[in-house]
Amino acid sequence: MAIDGLIILDNAGRAIAQSGFHSFPPAYPLLHIDALNNALASAAHPDDVDPVLYISGINMDTPSACCHVKRGDLRYLCPVSGDVDPLYAFAFLQTFIEILHEYFGHVSAETLKQNFDVVYQLLEETLDSGGHPLTTSPNALRDIVIPPTLLNKVLSVAGVSGLATSSANSHPFASPIPWRKTGVRYNNNEIFFDVIETLDAVVNKNGTTAVSSVWGRVETNCKLSGTPDLLLTFSNASTLNDCSFHPCVRLQRWARDKVLSFVPPDGKFKLMEYRYVPISASSLNQVSVPFILRPAVQVDEHGGSIELTFSSRLTTRTMENVYVELYLGEGATGASCITSHSTSWSFNPRTLTLVWELRAVVPSASYTLRGSFTSTAGAPRPSRAFRVRFEIPQHNYSALKIEQLKLTGENYKPYKGMRGNSLGDIEWRW
Amino acid sequence: MSGQGGQDAKFFQRGKIQEFRAELEAAESKDKKFTKRKTVLKKIVANITMGNDMSPLFTDVVQCLGTPLLEIKKMVYLFLVCYGRQKADQLHLVIPSFLQDCNDRNPLVRALAIRTMSYIPTPVVIESLTDQLRHCLKDRDPYVRKTAAICVAKLYAADPRKAEKGGFVEMLRDLLLDSNATVVANAVAALSEIGDRQDGVIFKLNLTVANKLLTALGESSEWGTIYILDSLLRYVPEKHSDAEMIAERVIAQLNHANSAVVLTAIKILLYLMNYMENRRLMEYICKKMGPPLVTLLSSGPEVQYVALRNILLIIQRRPAVLKNDVKVFFCKYNDPIYVKLAKLEIMYRLAREENAREVLAELQEYASEVDVDFVRKAVRSIGRLAIKVQPAADACIQALLDLIETKVSYVVQEAVIVIKDVFRRYPGKYEGIIPTLCEHLDLLDEPESKAAMIWIIGQFANRIDNADELMDDLTYTFLEEPNEVQLALLTAAVKLFIYKPHSDTTKALVHKVLKWTTEEVDNPDLRDRGFMYWRMLAINPTVAGEIVLAEKPPITTDADRMDRGALDQLLLHTGTLGSIYHKNPETFIRGATGKALTDSPALNPLSRQVLVPVARTNLPPTTVKVPGPGPPEPTMSNATSQDLLDTDSPAPQVQNGAASSAAVNLMATGSSSQDTPEDGGEDDDAVPQAPASDPYAALDSAFGGYLADEPRPQNKDLLDMI
Repeated sequence: MAIDGLIILDNAGRAIAQSGFHSFPPAYPLLHIDALNNALASAAHPDDVDPVLYISGINMDTPSACCHVKRGDLRYLCPVSGDVDPLYAFAFLQTFIEILHEYFGHVSAETLKQNFDVVYQLLEETLDSGGHPLTTSPNALRDIVIPPTLLNKVLSVAGVSGLATSSANSHPFASPIPWRKTGVRYNNNEIFFDVIETLDAVVNKNGTTAVSSVWGRVETNCKLSGTPDLLLTFSNASTLNDCSFHPCVRLQRWARDKVLSFVPPDGKFKLMEYRYVPISASSLNQVSVPFILRPAVQVDEHGGSIELTFSSRLTTRTMENVYVELYLGEGATGASCITSHSTSWSFNPRTLTLVWELRAVVPSASYTLRGSFTSTAGAPRPSRAFRVRFEIPQHNYSALKIEQLKLTGENYKPYKGMRGNSLGDIEWRW
Repeated sequence: MSGQGGQDAKFFQRGKIQEFRAELEAAESKDKKFTKRKTVLKKIVANITMGNDMSPLFTDVVQCLGTPLLEIKKMVYLFLVCYGRQKADQLHLVIPSFLQDCNDRNPLVRALAIRTMSYIPTPVVIESLTDQLRHCLKDRDPYVRKTAAICVAKLYAADPRKAEKGGFVEMLRDLLLDSNATVVANAVAALSEIGDRQDGVIFKLNLTVANKLLTALGESSEWGTIYILDSLLRYVPEKHSDAEMIAERVIAQLNHANSAVVLTAIKILLYLMNYMENRRLMEYICKKMGPPLVTLLSSGPEVQYVALRNILLIIQRRPAVLKNDVKVFFCKYNDPIYVKLAKLEIMYRLAREENAREVLAELQEYASEVDVDFVRKAVRSIGRLAIKVQPAADACIQALLDLIETKVSYVVQEAVIVIKDVFRRYPGKYEGIIPTLCEHLDLLDEPESKAAMIWIIGQFANRIDNADELMDDLTYTFLEEPNEVQLALLTAAVKLFIYKPHSDTTKALVHKVLKWTTEEVDNPDLRDRGFMYWRMLAINPTVAGEIVLAEKPPITTDADRMDRGALDQLLLHTGTLGSIYHKNPETFIRGATGKALTDSPALNPLSRQVLVPVARTNLPPTTVKVPGPGPPEPTMSNATSQDLLDTDSPAPQVQNGAASSAAVNLMATGSSSQDTPEDGGEDDDAVPQAPASDPYAALDSAFGGYLADEPRPQNKDLLDMI
């Protein structure tokens, strides 16, 4: 149960950084890099490459697999040669990427090269040469690998003796809880919860919803001193299904009482994820899509025409940042459209997609787009569905509310804040 | 470094060895804050990462090890890890520094030292590591202990006998009871790694230890949780109640945020269910497993892919798990193709009479998509749905006909291919649509679809008025056709002749084809078949007719279900590469140990009946011996190694013998229970069947990738030939 290592590639497929691979032949990482680059080059669409590539090996007797993900401009590879859980590799990649973001903010080939020593230290501390993840919780990592900004600050203030930085906390992992470090102090004790819910739905030609589900997550920013033990109660916890929690949450307690009991990590973390299922009289138990799209698409030789009406079904709230997209098919060359009320359209020649952007959709309003597109293909094949993304700020489909936040183990009263945001990603077929 | 953060890119310049050496020498004087050394070392490390050989600097760099600065130590250690093995003859120079660091005040330095040493497995280093490791395993700092635990596995990899003699395995076992959860998890990881080696000490858990480990779950990191959960596969429940109790404690982990934890927990639950009796609890567990699997589908496409491939296995063994969730597997048009194909397969598996209408509507939607591969699979799935769910067959056929009307070449071709199977599944029911098919003959340009259409024309030549004309047209290009089509044409021509023996055209046609196959074609299959038909027709046309048009066995979808025993075994690999490729890992990963259910009094009868023994290459009953604490024991049989963690002393040990005898045992159990097949009353729909001699026989046909899994009558080729 161990991965072989980690490789980071830039967008040209060249390695920026990689872990040791000491117990493998030197060609091993190269083999994986080449295999992936070849697969990418020969795939019709770069997203269509199998995420777990089978790699037959230099000598046919040592096959291995290459798990890879793309985030931003970079690709992260995780070769595995044993019978390992690929999810384990993906989970590790995800964690490592999150750590990079913690440390550098924006992650690009440039930032990684500029801070290569920190990257290598991170690799060393998060993954041992046998492929076992070591320390991945940001709270504990900060003690042993000093983030670039903090390092500079400490050095300039203390006037050096490098050991000073680590002797400031000479007992890393002194904390019995792996995700929280000891001795945290804040002047203002506060904790913020961001509840973000995404409606994910497919709507059929006739306007009926084929599938719809609401996925929610609670992002938390914790600035509390000491080792607080929190008890968080939601007002409508029974509508939260399929929950998954940060390791800090006591799972047995949730199973019993539907309350969250936990000692939070310091700083930002994702407390929980859930699926919201409304309790309603209707048997469908679905959240309805908050708009209606009336599409009319006519495909002719070398082009076609599009007519769209977008109407909000919300009566009080405004939808923001609405994007209606249609892939126009192989060979599409351009489009020209007329849109109503201060909305705008564009054609992206790289993705061959027509995008209609509606910055703000006021309650119950309707908007239209009318236009045509051209294509070099004799019979263009645009995709059979529009993709609609939107945002409803200060709102939650689930109307999730914090009923109570109790703190034990420390004697101060924390300030708690909560903010909701609803997103949508709808596929509307025509 | 201060003041120049963010400018490290300039270190990435090719440097010369001599320059670096000179710079290091210069840095020895007047380098109060070690900034000079740090800069040089950084340049050197940058060069290492660029792949430039820096090994000539070995002696120079090693001298920096005395510098009391953690950052410099780290870089020197990195250098050592890279070039240590190359410079084995000079490593003795470093040992004193290593020893000093192992006793440093700072736990980070202590841990760093033993970790680095374990990465350089040369005899000199291993020698001094063994002593230090023993201290570090008992260090008061948990960080050092947890690092040391992993180092034991490294030591074992380098020199198994030394590690065993040194008593390190026992020390790891003691760490299982450590107060710090991370230390426990790492000890488990190390023991598992050792246990997975072909020559390793076998690592088994008993109930007491399993319970202890479960207690540590609460405070573990996600990786620790995975190690601990995974190790539970090494616990063989002796009683139903034990399995049930452990499972109840594992269920909570299904709510973990880490997808790998969730899938590992599911693997353990599936495993434990083999040892359970309480039907209500099993139903409850099945119900609990569904939602977390669905949740995985809201993650990125990579995770979705892995999850989907596993779901495909799980629903075959425990169909109750996602019975009512077919909707979650509906595809979005911007899903990557690998996700779409996997979803499609699951939709087909979950299709039942109750949801067939919804599934069909979706499939029809997909059939008009842009992506050709996906469209083909969708069309094919419509046909498979017709074959699987009888009440939906009418609607499916109508859908296929509608698709044929689109006249999109690849859609029509796929439709023709599946319709052929539909004809065989429901003989005498849908032949009315044959004329429609014939209208689209000219759209078929791929061998498979062409062969399917020719089969249809030949088989139903008596119902097609102009069959002889059609055949005449089709044979026009006979010699240029691919083999598959030629074979189909040959058989169809013979069938046509048998249906219409008095027509001159058919006579001429069959003669022409037989002549071509026997005289002008090089392919031996085709030629031999031509000769065979010719003789049959020459000797006795009536009998030939009976043979060629013999009734065919009905087609079913059974062939695409995997064998229960193989499935049980694959599910032990839930989440791993084996489950992605649907193959047992020992068949494609060198050195992987197979896994098999272990027999125990609690194993449910049906699982036992289909038990597949592990294909582990059995080593001779080893020299592996683990002396326990206290005075040296008299040489005992090879059972010592297995008893490692069995602190319940003389518990029934029947099945815990040496690996070799266990395997023999299992095989014996497997075969003896063949005589008494009994229905274990499993909730899944698997019909208990006599264990096949080769449980993987059905595997290829069922799962050879996405393309080979359409229902096919077994022995089809043979029957078609006749």
